[in-house]
Amino acid sequence: MKYFLLVFAVIMAISARSAQAQTDLIERGKTLFRAADCAACHLSSDGQTLSGGKAFPLPFGTVYAVNITPDRETGIGAYTDEQWLRMMRTGVDRNGRHLYPVMPYTSYTFLNDADTLAIKAYLFTLKPVQAKAPENRLPFPFNQRWVMTFWNWFNNPDRRMTTDPHRTPEWNRGAYLVEALGHCDQCHTPRNFMFGLSGKAYAGTVQVGWRAYNLTSDTEHGLGGWSDSELFEYLSTGYAPHRGPASGPMAEAIENSLRYLPAEDIRAMIVYLRSIPARPNGPQRGKRVPGASGENEDVGRHIFQQACMGCHLENGAGRQSDWGALKGAHSLSDPAATNIIGVLRTGTSIKTEHGKMAMPSFTKAYTPQELAAISEYVLGHFGGVKAQIEPDRFKN
Amino acid sequence: MITIRINNESHQLDVTDDMPLLWVLRDILGLTGTKYGCGVAQCGACTIHIDGIPTRACQLPVSLIGDRHITTIEAIGNTREGARIQAVWLQNQVIQCGYCQSGQIMAATALLRDNPNPTDDDIDDAMSGNICRCGTYVRIREAIHQAANNA
Repeated sequence: MKYFLLVFAVIMAISARSAQAQTDLIERGKTLFRAADCAACHLSSDGQTLSGGKAFPLPFGTVYAVNITPDRETGIGAYTDEQWLRMMRTGVDRNGRHLYPVMPYTSYTFLNDADTLAIKAYLFTLKPVQAKAPENRLPFPFNQRWVMTFWNWFNNPDRRMTTDPHRTPEWNRGAYLVEALGHCDQCHTPRNFMFGLSGKAYAGTVQVGWRAYNLTSDTEHGLGGWSDSELFEYLSTGYAPHRGPASGPMAEAIENSLRYLPAEDIRAMIVYLRSIPARPNGPQRGKRVPGASGENEDVGRHIFQQACMGCHLENGAGRQSDWGALKGAHSLSDPAATNIIGVLRTGTSIKTEHGKMAMPSFTKAYTPQELAAISEYVLGHFGGVKAQIEPDRFKN
Repeated sequence: MITIRINNESHQLDVTDDMPLLWVLRDILGLTGTKYGCGVAQCGACTIHIDGIPTRACQLPVSLIGDRHITTIEAIGNTREGARIQAVWLQNQVIQCGYCQSGQIMAATALLRDNPNPTDDDIDDAMSGNICRCGTYVRIREAIHQAANNA
């Protein structure tokens, strides 16, 4: 009897430990899932499940995000660990089909086995949703998935990240967060002629209609002029004093991913970002003609006072909340006005610990001519930049 | 629990962090002088003062206020400029339907405090975020000039 009780106790202890290990694994997987910002693409349009469906309009056609809930038929439920590792690293799915590199496997390939499988373990705890992603709309030859084999030769490093012994553990952690999990370069690095990432790492570029800024140490265009505390505030809340709020896809990255990272991870990312060599790429500031206030600028000023001042104030200091403080935002000195046009056209929002901060779209309230006039006014008023904005850019 | 100071009184609130101040004022504290207009900080009907700065209560999460002091239309008459604005508003019969007017008075009071002698342009600039569907703008402008002259 004594012997039996002992065996029973040992079995119970082992199973309790393995249950705890499983819980820990899933918890770690959730943290990694957030740091990898899988939700950015795979969240459904109602924001409730990871059943995909989001369209990615690319220069050569439209690709749709797939369902990553554990549904066996339409999701990832049938993946074995081996198939999962292959998919995340080489971009080849369970059925041997090539994925398109909209899925950032060229970044996730740097993840180690344990972390890659922890993400899978977490995803497998979600409720399976049956939802088939729409068929991609790609013309020949882009609809030939096997062509990606050649693309991968040139563009997928297909290797795990190794620790650089000459750097601090913090730098190495930052590199892993920025390069492997955060896949920051997928938006911030200009693409080459094959639409792979070019050698101009983090020099900034325009992606899906929004300008992703230069993240190198360049003082004028990059992060060289930002203090550590400004970067910390911006990455963890979506706003830093005198730097303006994050908008568009960057606001989404903060909402879904960065604001959940522990403070030491954000600090490690900053350490790594600081080490990216400067590249002086970025929008050249237009020259302001002194005293040349055209009729258009008056129209812009009047509309700004009626429609924008309610939240932003005339001096851009923000009225209700810091997320309305425009002053100093990089977008306001970009003569191409890419992100100004983005927020006016589609609006932007970000969830914060104080609730959701949102800017509505203004295309239903004002004509393209009026919106162009507002853009020119804010560029001049806040950025000291003289630019001419074509009203056509506000037409859908 | 959140503590906020409104019209020199302290209030303890058991509300969510993201509740807009306007909801707190109207539904919880019963201070219904501040009006709900558009809900997106575009019309100015819900204007209140935070440390004297006109702010739209409909877009202000209560957790962002901290220890800054809130003044609403109920107490603006206790300030020198507020009392003067309310007096000239009555003299000039500015109000028509009245819905936007608590917001107009809050905006005009802040203007007068910052700029005791505003020009037409100054008035247009400061008041343009407060919409009045009855079109009382001309009388608002006159009343503000009068308040300034009587200073």
